[in-house]
Amino acid sequence: MITGTGIVKTFKQRGDVLGGREVKALRGVDFSIPKGGAASFIGESGCGKTTLGRIIAGLETHDEGEIAIDGVPMSSLRPKQRQPHFRKIQMIHQDPYSALNPTRTIHQTLYAPLALRARQTGRSKAWIDERAAEVLSLVGLDPGSVLARYPHQLSGGMRQRVVIARALTVDPEMLVADEAVSMIDVSLRLGILALLKDLRERLGVAVLFITHDVATSRYIGDDGELYVIYRGQVVERGPVDTVIADPVHPYTQSLLSAIPVLHGLEEPGEQPVVPLESLDESKADTGCLFARRCPFRTDRCESELPVLGRTDGVPQEHACFHPERRSVIARPVSAS
Amino acid sequence: MAQQAPGVRIDGLTVVYKTSAGELPAVRNVSLTLEPGSITGIVGESGSGKSTLALSLLNAVQPPGRIAAGSVEIDGLGDVVGLQGEELRKARGRHIGYVFQAAQNSLNPLKTVGKQLLDLGRSHGVDDLRGLVRDAKELLGRMGLDGARVLDSHQHELSGGMRQRVGIVLALVLNAHVVVLDEPTTALDMITQANILKIVREVHAERGLTTLVITHDIGVVAEVADRLAVMYGGRLVEQGPTREVLGAPRHPYTKGLIKAIPRLVGDIDEARALPGRPPTLATVPKEGCVFRERCAARLDVCDTVDPEAVADGPRVVACHAVTVKEHA
Repeated sequence: MITGTGIVKTFKQRGDVLGGREVKALRGVDFSIPKGGAASFIGESGCGKTTLGRIIAGLETHDEGEIAIDGVPMSSLRPKQRQPHFRKIQMIHQDPYSALNPTRTIHQTLYAPLALRARQTGRSKAWIDERAAEVLSLVGLDPGSVLARYPHQLSGGMRQRVVIARALTVDPEMLVADEAVSMIDVSLRLGILALLKDLRERLGVAVLFITHDVATSRYIGDDGELYVIYRGQVVERGPVDTVIADPVHPYTQSLLSAIPVLHGLEEPGEQPVVPLESLDESKADTGCLFARRCPFRTDRCESELPVLGRTDGVPQEHACFHPERRSVIARPVSAS
Repeated sequence: MAQQAPGVRIDGLTVVYKTSAGELPAVRNVSLTLEPGSITGIVGESGSGKSTLALSLLNAVQPPGRIAAGSVEIDGLGDVVGLQGEELRKARGRHIGYVFQAAQNSLNPLKTVGKQLLDLGRSHGVDDLRGLVRDAKELLGRMGLDGARVLDSHQHELSGGMRQRVGIVLALVLNAHVVVLDEPTTALDMITQANILKIVREVHAERGLTTLVITHDIGVVAEVADRLAVMYGGRLVEQGPTREVLGAPRHPYTKGLIKAIPRLVGDIDEARALPGRPPTLATVPKEGCVFRERCAARLDVCDTVDPEAVADGPRVVACHAVTVKEHA
């Protein structure tokens, strides 16, 4: 569906008299999401996961590297020609409160993209209404009760469903969900995650999750791929359940160790990994980007940058000189 | 600092907001005791009344809201609900430290942290401002920050996690012994969150505090709190020792909430969203149980009678179905 090779993105900040500061958002990232497939990008804020998601959705340009959609390299096309390709990829934003125009009813919100589509394909007005009702049913809303309402009359969960319905009006082949449930009430989050999983299974839409909540990424489905991103570099990549159950990169292990343990229901992992210091990007790095924070660093880590690849005995790809399995995640208390 | 941690007793607290439909309760008849030296966590979704309850501890509910009934007794201070004007202003900060929900955004962008610290000291009549700065530096150092550098910084020079720590320092520096943290880790990363929670636990123990943490995230409470209280639709539906409540929840809402958390291991299809949606101020039912619309254990009596909070040892539950089962 979409592949990227060597994606580099650098943001230049305008600075004082001494000139601007450069932020390396992405440092040569490769990814590949098959048709109907699934992937999840996880990492701390500022790691570049959202920038990568926006590049994939065609909302941001990159400096180096190549994006290909269905085998067509985007660099071979003029910006205007890229549009129909990127239209297959629709983004669902974090905040369902600001993603919908408050002055438009749900019907009006869905009508605009459908009318465009009807014009392009010579369909009737009746088709628009039919399709609007259809996409709402797909996301689990009752068209009869929702269409005439305004966004403020709906809960956060319902609004996010409307946002997803709007994305579906253009028959996308992939949905990019950037922290799509973080602003939704806890008791309703799961409904949205299950909906995205269901859409993938029923419609064959590929799904990309961008999240800092690792548990959320399991909802892409167990055939999905997890990308752990640290400071613009993919440091671990593999099947979602493998990476969560058996992480080998100390950064992934720190992320998983930081997830709160529900004491009483769970017991913590035996070998939690705590970073030595907090992230400070102002210091220069000569070797591994995580070395300064890594409790297991060696001299080699401080002088040489490990690249993503495979080593013997580790099923997933990783970028660490000393990959080692550690038991970091909480386990349910045995029901004794 | 050898002062003993104060206890807080909230009794029958009701807070109402004036709306076009009359005065509607955001917090209704809530009783909760914060034992001296304990960390209590209140969990609730948006509109559950948890932040309103927290503000009541400062008697800081803003109009159109007002405390309509009940009391908040704090050891060494008396009933906060009765305090007014200058007395109340002094109590805030001195006795009760409050870390606001958006601590990341609650600093003045035009002043350095140090200047804001001095403002705080002057407004509370601190004579020894040097001592105050020294205390603040020490606290910042305690939280793993470079005190001098932070005090010289403007808020935009600090990361989210650093600002949150500054918020905690400002709440503690006047030696308050009751501390309220409203969503202390929202908008922070997992690793930063774990860090902040560790600091909250340590500072709590070192300074002998009585701490209240308000959050929508059960995980946060599970990590720090001794006691867990669950709010829904303005009511406290369940409370008890954290491990017991998480391990064996009794109220159907608590059960549903715990079941709705995506976990790292096990079958993901076992986790289930709660049906329906949380009530808002306008849709909270006038009579009967607030949770009945979404409840699987609903009885006839739930439609008409609001269940009383019934204590059973350290556990308190307000649910007809639970009461019926236990007395059957």
